This record gives sequence, C-alpha cells and structure tokens, in this order.
Amino acid sequence: MVRTKLAIAFLVVSFLGFLDSTYLTIKHYQGEVPPCSIIHGCEVVTTSKYSEIAGISVALLGALFYLAILLLAIGYIDSKKASVLKIICYLTPVGFVMSLWFLFVQAVLLKAYCQYCLFSAVTSTALFGMGMVTLWKERQKSSIPEIKNPPM
Amino acid sequence: MDEQNQTLSRKERRDLKREQKLEKRSQEQKSRTVRRVGLWGGVIVAIVFTVWGLTKLGGNSSGGDGPIAPVDSVTEGDWVSGSSTAKVTLIEYSDLQCPACAAAQPVVKQIEREFANDISFVYRHFPLTQIHKNAEESAWAAEAAGKQGKFFEMRDKLFDFQSSWDDKSDVAEIFATYAEQMGLDKNIFLADYKSDEVKQQVRGDMASGNRAGVNSTPTFFLNGRKLNLKNFSELTALVRQAVEQSKTATST
Repeated sequence: MVRTKLAIAFLVVSFLGFLDSTYLTIKHYQGEVPPCSIIHGCEVVTTSKYSEIAGISVALLGALFYLAILLLAIGYIDSKKASVLKIICYLTPVGFVMSLWFLFVQAVLLKAYCQYCLFSAVTSTALFGMGMVTLWKERQKSSIPEIKNPPM
Repeated sequence: MDEQNQTLSRKERRDLKREQKLEKRSQEQKSRTVRRVGLWGGVIVAIVFTVWGLTKLGGNSSGGDGPIAPVDSVTEGDWVSGSSTAKVTLIEYSDLQCPACAAAQPVVKQIEREFANDISFVYRHFPLTQIHKNAEESAWAAEAAGKQGKFFEMRDKLFDFQSSWDDKSDVAEIFATYAEQMGLDKNIFLADYKSDEVKQQVRGDMASGNRAGVNSTPTFFLNGRKLNLKNFSELTALVRQAVEQSKTATST
C-alpha cells in the first residue's frame, strides 16, 4: 500500500515535470522564447548554447526523462513488481545531476534564470528525494528476513 | 468392475476440476489483459492529448507583439542597404557590442559596396543582453539615428568605436556625442533613444531572431538559408554565387 502511494507520488511529480519540459521543448523547436514574466533572463537561458547537447534540446531530454518515470510508475501500479519501483529510484539521480548542472549554468555561466528550468530543478529534486527514501525503506524491509523482495 | 468405475469417475472428476481451474485462470488472464490494454491505451491517449494541448498553448502566446519578421524576406520595419528590389537577400542578426560582429564588419561593408545593386542587405538587432551590458542601448542608438536617416552610419560608428563605449556605464551621453558628430539633432536623438517605439523595434528584431533559431552573433541568412560560416570571407563567396545564380536565372 505504501509502495502504491509512492508510485502515485512519482506519477504526479513526473507528470508536472513532463508538462514543464514538454512545453519548453515545443517552444525550443518552434524557435520561440517562452513568456518569461517572473524572472528576467529566460530568453538568455533558453536560447543559450547550453540549451542543446549535440543538437538535441535539453528540454527534450528532460521530457523523455520525466516520461520514462511516468510510464514506469504506471507500470508499477499495474504490475506491482517491486523491481519496477527500484528502476525508478535508480533513474532519479540522473535527473538530479542534470538539474545541478543546469543550476550551475544558470547561476554561474549565464547569470540568468528561467522559471521553467527552476521548476524542473524542483521536480527532479523531489523525484530524487522520493527515490532515495524509497530505496532506504526497501533496504530496511529486506533486512527483515520474512519479507523478501523478488529478485531484480 | 465397480472399483474400475469408481477410479474412472474419480479421474474424470479430477479432470473436470482441472479444466474448470484452467478456464477460470484463462478468464482471469483475459480480463487482466483487457484492463491492461485499457490502462496503457488511456495513458498513450492522455500523453498525446497533453502534448497536443501544449503545442496549441505555445502557438497562441507567440503572437503578442504583432507579426514576427521572417528570415527570407525584407519587411517594412527593416533597415535595408543596397537594392530593396533585388532578388538576393542577405539578413544579418548582429549585436553592436559583440567583438565577432565588429570583426565581420569589414566583410559586410565590402559586400554592401560590391553588390549594392544586386542584393538587399538587412541589418536586424540581436543584442546578447546578458553578456553585453550596453548591447541593447547601442541598438537603440542605431535605431534613434535611423529616425534621422543615419542608421547605417551609426552602426558603422558604433562598431568602429566599440571599445570606447562597451564597458562604460553612461553610454547615452557617448552615443549622443556620436549623433552630434554625424550632424544629427542631439535632443531629438536622445528622445528617440529613450522612446518605447525604438525599444519595441529592437525587441521585435530579437523575437524574429529567436524564432529563426539565432543563438549567436553574427548570424547570416542568405535567401532565408542560415549560413554556417567557417570564416567571414566565405560569406563574400556565397553572396557572389547567389548573385550570379540569380542573374543566370533571369537571363535565361
């Protein structure tokens, strides 16, 4: 039951992240700057050279990352396989590390922020936190011999 | 005999039970498959719908400040040198404070001279406001000079003297001095420099550059095609080629 609740939390947060980064991806490939009302400088961030890796928009990579977690969360709710939940947890550091890099790019290299990117940093950090808590709890559970996880 | 019957019927009973069990299991599996197909189908539909919705949202919010100038043709608000009716258009997105743009300037000037009758050369502003603190102000200065008919003269002046204003904090006064040296009315220049109309014009150019995927300066579009130049002398060769092509196309 706790696991299902966790999976639903993963689902909700990754959906928010997916909305955010898909919006940025669309804007990127339409060659437009998203409306930047709250913080000045998102035109700088979203059109900077750091907005692409090998010609691929980083927003697209983000969207795919959130989509992967979203689908895995639904996959867990459907199959109830603990291994699926574990894969999600192992994926979350990827987004977290990327977000740290983008925060560095914004704060140090560009000295400009974009609210969509900051929002993505929040969602990926939340996913990372949840992932780590889940792994920690699973480890605690598996140390009790009666309840064993199915093998990966 | 009796014993055989009994064993048979026991066996039959066992078979029947097993069959029922199998059927129940297959039915369970079937309903599970249906549930799964429904779930994943729903998920796919929801994702497609979400992406579609976001695309619509993106499309609507873009047209806030009127039409955005395309990169393959000259529009009304553009600064054009050369022939405005020429078949070849060269559009430059440039930042008056960018050193690379200043470095490209001799080549641009040469192209403007050599192909004065053959191309429309368009200058659009793409100030990199975050890395160049006076970039947007210098664009306003060029626009303000343009209001008194000396846009390109101011552009040249700003590029030529880039190092004498790029790190200054009160650039308006420096730009006004340039305007005066060019024989412009200083007060009108300063009023235009601060006007919303001029700022709007620069913002419009930036929006057009963003839409065209400009992410560095200078970026050139030759007949709507974005050029990836190895060096600036390559630009002259490409323009010459385009001009020759347009000439042979009209003579045949």
